[in-house]
Amino acid sequence: MVQSYRLDKIGLVNREKKLSFKFNGKKYFGYEGDTLASALIANGVHLVGRSFKYHRPRGFFGAGVDEPYAIVQLYRNGETEPNVRATEQELFEGLEAKSVNCWPSVNFDIGAINNFLNIFLPAGFYYKTFMWPRSFWYRIYEPFIRKAAGFGVASKEHDKERYEHKYEYCDLLIAGSGPSGLASAYAAAKNGARVILAEDKPRFGGSLLTSDVSINNQSGKEWADNIITELKGMTNVTVKNRAQIFGYYDHNMLVMSERVTDHLPKSEEFTPKQRLWYIRAKQVVISSGSIERPIVFGNNDTPGVVLASAAKEYMKVYGVLVGKKPIVFTNNDSAYETAIEFKKNNINPIVLDSRQDSNSEIIKEAKSLGIDIKFSHVVVAAKGYKKVKSCDIAEISEDKQNLNQIKNIECDCICVSGFWTPTIHLASQSGGKTKFKEEIDAFVPDKSKQKEVTLGSANGVFTLEETLKTSFDKGFELSKEITNNNNSQQIPKVSEKKHSKHDKFWCVPLPKGKKYKRFLDFQNDVAVSDIELAIREGYRSIEHVKRYTTLGMATDQGKTSNLNGLQLVSNIENKVVPAVGHTTFRPPYTPISIGAIVGREIGKHSKPTRKSPMHNWHKKNNAVFVDAGVWLRPRYYKRGNEGLFEASKREAENVRKNVGVCDVTTLGKIDIKGPNAAEFLNRVYTNAWLKLPVGKARYGVMLREDGIVMDDGTTTRISEHHYHMTTTTAQAANVLSHLEYYLQLVWPELDVNVVSTTEQWAGAAIAGPKSRDLLQKLFSDTDVSNEGLPFMGFVEANLFGVNARIFRISFSGELAYEVNVESDNGNFMWEKIIEIGKDFDLQPYGTEALSTLRIEMGHVAGSELDGRTIPYDTGLDGLVSKKKDFIGKRSLLKKAYNEKDRQRLVGVVPLDKKTSIPEGSHLVKDPKGKLPNPKLGHISASCWSVEHNNPFSLAILKDGKNMIGSKLYAMSPLKNKTIAVEIVSSHYVDPKGERVRS
Amino acid sequence: MQKYSFLSLIKNAFSGHKGWEVAWKDPTPKKEYDVVIIGGGGHGLATAYYLAKEHKITNIAVIEKGWIGGGNVGRNTTIIRSNYMHDENGLFYEKGMDLWRSMSQDLNFNIMFSPRGIINLAHSDAQMNAYARRGNSMRLNGIDAVLLDREEVKKKVPVLDFSDNVRFPIFGALMQPSAGTARHDAVAWGYARQADSMGVDIIQHCEVTGFDISNGKMKGIKTSRGDIKTKKVGLCVAGSTSILAEMLNMTLPIETHLLQACVSEPIKPILDHVVTFGAGHFYCSQSDKGEMVMGGDLDGYNSYAQRGNLPTLQHVLTEGIAMFPFLSKLNMLRTWGGIMDMSMDGSPIIDKTHIAGLYLNCGWCYGGFKATPASGFTFAHTIAQDRVHELNAGFRLDRFSTGHLIDEKGLGTKTWIS
Amino acid sequence: MLYIKCPHCGLRSQNEFAYGGDASVKRPELNKEISDQEWDEFVYLRKSPRGKHLELWHHVSGCRQWIKVLRDTSTHEIFNTYKSEEKVG
Repeated sequence: MVQSYRLDKIGLVNREKKLSFKFNGKKYFGYEGDTLASALIANGVHLVGRSFKYHRPRGFFGAGVDEPYAIVQLYRNGETEPNVRATEQELFEGLEAKSVNCWPSVNFDIGAINNFLNIFLPAGFYYKTFMWPRSFWYRIYEPFIRKAAGFGVASKEHDKERYEHKYEYCDLLIAGSGPSGLASAYAAAKNGARVILAEDKPRFGGSLLTSDVSINNQSGKEWADNIITELKGMTNVTVKNRAQIFGYYDHNMLVMSERVTDHLPKSEEFTPKQRLWYIRAKQVVISSGSIERPIVFGNNDTPGVVLASAAKEYMKVYGVLVGKKPIVFTNNDSAYETAIEFKKNNINPIVLDSRQDSNSEIIKEAKSLGIDIKFSHVVVAAKGYKKVKSCDIAEISEDKQNLNQIKNIECDCICVSGFWTPTIHLASQSGGKTKFKEEIDAFVPDKSKQKEVTLGSANGVFTLEETLKTSFDKGFELSKEITNNNNSQQIPKVSEKKHSKHDKFWCVPLPKGKKYKRFLDFQNDVAVSDIELAIREGYRSIEHVKRYTTLGMATDQGKTSNLNGLQLVSNIENKVVPAVGHTTFRPPYTPISIGAIVGREIGKHSKPTRKSPMHNWHKKNNAVFVDAGVWLRPRYYKRGNEGLFEASKREAENVRKNVGVCDVTTLGKIDIKGPNAAEFLNRVYTNAWLKLPVGKARYGVMLREDGIVMDDGTTTRISEHHYHMTTTTAQAANVLSHLEYYLQLVWPELDVNVVSTTEQWAGAAIAGPKSRDLLQKLFSDTDVSNEGLPFMGFVEANLFGVNARIFRISFSGELAYEVNVESDNGNFMWEKIIEIGKDFDLQPYGTEALSTLRIEMGHVAGSELDGRTIPYDTGLDGLVSKKKDFIGKRSLLKKAYNEKDRQRLVGVVPLDKKTSIPEGSHLVKDPKGKLPNPKLGHISASCWSVEHNNPFSLAILKDGKNMIGSKLYAMSPLKNKTIAVEIVSSHYVDPKGERVRS
Repeated sequence: MQKYSFLSLIKNAFSGHKGWEVAWKDPTPKKEYDVVIIGGGGHGLATAYYLAKEHKITNIAVIEKGWIGGGNVGRNTTIIRSNYMHDENGLFYEKGMDLWRSMSQDLNFNIMFSPRGIINLAHSDAQMNAYARRGNSMRLNGIDAVLLDREEVKKKVPVLDFSDNVRFPIFGALMQPSAGTARHDAVAWGYARQADSMGVDIIQHCEVTGFDISNGKMKGIKTSRGDIKTKKVGLCVAGSTSILAEMLNMTLPIETHLLQACVSEPIKPILDHVVTFGAGHFYCSQSDKGEMVMGGDLDGYNSYAQRGNLPTLQHVLTEGIAMFPFLSKLNMLRTWGGIMDMSMDGSPIIDKTHIAGLYLNCGWCYGGFKATPASGFTFAHTIAQDRVHELNAGFRLDRFSTGHLIDEKGLGTKTWIS
Repeated sequence: MLYIKCPHCGLRSQNEFAYGGDASVKRPELNKEISDQEWDEFVYLRKSPRGKHLELWHHVSGCRQWIKVLRDTSTHEIFNTYKSEEKVG
């Protein structure tokens, strides 16, 4: 295919490197340095998509980030990506793209029927209809609307690309490499500041790439190239292209997204597709430039209507013509550069200028080149469906209200310019206010809120001379404050054409009897008539207008439409624009890849995984793991064909009969030291701690200040001023913070230190009637007899040359011990226990058996201590001291906590002694009762009692204390189960606690 | 009032839509009202509507500092559900579900209630058990709930990550099939339009600057547009409750925090249900426009800023990708934040106060949007009858003193930990 | 992301800290008879001001010290930070 719209001698693309690509299945060629948009235009392709609501044909409107139309589905390296802007996607060999939101094709789209129905589909039409019959909304109308909406198609495959994050600090962060960005970066860098210069586009230079100026007798582009080359060579400067600063957050934290390999056919291994930079800057220069805004006229969405600046960019950067019979429609001087550029490339444009006359330098030049200029003329409407074929033009009266006779002239593109809108997003996101600048009919940043300054056209300054001067000055001044250096640069000499005033004109009136759609928001199909309707119906606040019409809510976020929308509202409401105000600017400036925001924390790495030192042993021995928070714990050790039930039953039975060992490394462990440690514990726990002797452990319960149980565990007095506290796995971090809070803020007078030792110790619980015999073999030189190491006793001992701590504590109700060694010795300890344990029929047991053992003992755990229970509820009230004060005690006086029928922990046994009660069932009196059926309590934990060989559950039951012996029903409607049960004591095994003391 | 219908739409189309009337008027405040509702958000407008409809009180002003519907009713993730464990919440929100189901017809405004079902994923047996407890409680309260196993979840939402490359595999889920979404702005506008038609004055751009209270009785309010006499004032300003409470010399068991949400660019339909992630805080649905609507955590420190930070969103989206890997290749389009009253047990307050004629509606935490109709309904009752309705009897202010807390999450008073 | 000056460590990004709520709330002394109202004020009632807010932050991924931060809740401007024992004037 010939690139019939490609110019020969102009542009920055690499003609040496031809690239092939496919669009909608058809093969084309372009050059390295093209965007998908420029390459398609070079090939004469103008129809790329369909609009959101009416499915009207859509072409290209801009040449960059502001593009509202040209959104495609991209295929790259076997993956696909929806909603890629063709004006930003750089061309690579083998690129494939397709149009979106059209069926069966972009050329013939069934959805375009909406366009013919458009009079029935004004703004908000859906609020007024689709209400009858009631069920039809969800069943009929909505599915239809959903199918019609949306653009691209998401891939259901995992994203194979890599995304990275980087944290960076700098003195000066500069957003945008146009004249103001380059000048301020250069001045600051030369003055010794650490500078990061970010450019969104692949090429540096911004407007200098396309404007007709000279700086120090070089062209704008040459000057920019030289500055960039010099900056790149400086060690204190980081220069990044394809890098957009999209968010200005608190305390001068800005975030930049760098498209590292999006422009390549594929990413190399270990190279990210995109990189997100979190940058903390001492000062920020916002040099984000400005975006041309359109003038609104009839059918202004027809493919072939483009921004004048984009037409110029396509010529000067890409060597591509947007059309060969152009109309340039403008209210200002800047579009003349586009006209002149056409003329230089032997194309004859017609300029329609809404102003009555102008005689500025650039217009003189245009005239001298023989360009046809029609003042006081406007485009009334574009003609043509899938491409502009002609346009109706007319002379317009001075007050811009009346059109003279309409003439039709042939054209193939309309390059429109309604003046420039400063890009103030970052300045506004920083928290700063904006102000309306009458001279340019647009908002500019007002006072800075954070440490930032906006320069150049982003600040409403449109002459190069002033831009360079202020930017050199600012770059120097800001860097001086930081570095204290004093090396200022000479401000270069500028030659540029002076522009005359633009015309305050932004919308062409409708000719009598015509109903052309005049669009403001091109992607969302929001027309002038929609805004008028919204206001007529009382949606008058700009936020109401936005929400009712969806103005500015498309993927281009209203970059080319918002200000015209404000103009319209202010016209109708007879207010000035600043009185209407604008909607809030929020990050991101343009849509940002979710993959990039997330970075590397995906898949298995979405949260950390913690493993005990014995993890590999468990794995080798067929452990089936369970997530306990971020820890992995063996749930059971599978033998043969065993499932969870059989294995855990075997393991639990073996504990009751012989001896078992369980990895308890995950328990939180906190070292508590200091002369006031006992007093501290006495305040933290509900029970008494002042008299605990050295070498003894005690079980304790701690509350939150609101009286709810926070955690439980044993704490052991290792020596006079040294305690070892254990917490549950889940609460370990919270408990430590809790202790630190009281020590540092509430009772700083207590001389106590706390530190987490969870990672320092590996733990093994040895439980069962044979545990002492096993222990004696493990610690042959320690007396572990009932007298030598009584219940709740503690001793330091020697495990085959390794230092160990033995705590005689029990979670299972059996004679049991917990052995701790330093983590590095964990595996050694474990293997010794297993090896010697063989003689005692020892088996390892997992969390499921652990659970069974504690449930039948009536020992509470997380499912009872669920953040809603006080000590009484869980049968822990015996541990609540009446004599001393402690954290949360005052709350226990609350009325609800002392009601006679207060809920309390009980045991539950099915009457048939066979049917297991699902956890989460509720206890009711009458299983057939009318709904809502009063719930008396809930089943918190269930197990198969290995002691009694029947199901057993724990429940928290209203008036539980007096309910022992009652018959109730456990109901699980979710599982369609109703089980007749008897309420029993929660201590189902060894209620007197003889075994643990034996 | 002009009726909205397919026919009226066609009729107006032929007159260029010039015949549509204003949805609500723009009156100047009168000197005196029977009831003044402070806050023109969803709850305030709904309260005014039900006062007029159910209690025939129409001499009402709704006073709004900015524009109506500009608070959390206009900045939420549109989820509607009643999948609560505690009776006080479950029965209250289920009343709301009834009102949601007929709201479009009641208001003659399509609020697009769409019962697409909410699926709460579970990632462990313990979580399945906790969900069973909640689901069984719902069922015993007459609220629909089903427990799904992994395969059933896969059938319903195949785009979830069922591969081996996940940190927390999906075990199953609790689903409330009748839950869904609605078009949030439409709710405020629909209530406003009906309330207006029944005589309620909706007064925008009017800021309350003080209260006139004598002998413990409400006499009136002071506003930026003049003083207004009234014996009954209802406060519906979630997010800003503490600011007004300060004017009233009250300290409440709430803190103001910021919750962020975001949407992706629109894509073709891929997700039918509302899905929440059980191993963290993330919820997601797809709007009718095709945008993935995503929300999650609080920014985690007291805030009135309505501007959020990126790490929170990063955290939310991390959980998003863990659930829906396809999100990775989408772009985040818009983000926003809403400030909300986080109450000390996570449940709301709808009650009378120690000042006669001052009524309180606050503490909605994340749950305010779905509560809109039930809140309006019960608050209107509380104001009109000067006593709580049985459905909001549990939401009393003194429960923090008495200990009758309604803590769905069991997290206590650290409101910033969600 | 906030930039918080830990009085012990210096300026650190917010992600090193955990929030700890209103620092003006004072826990009643142990063993002291107090009214229900006083206790509820400590446990539940918060002023939650818009504007200056003295609050606690815990440098959990740093020195593990609880610090006090004076911050504006509507702009997030941080005026000053203090050690736990420091009097805030």
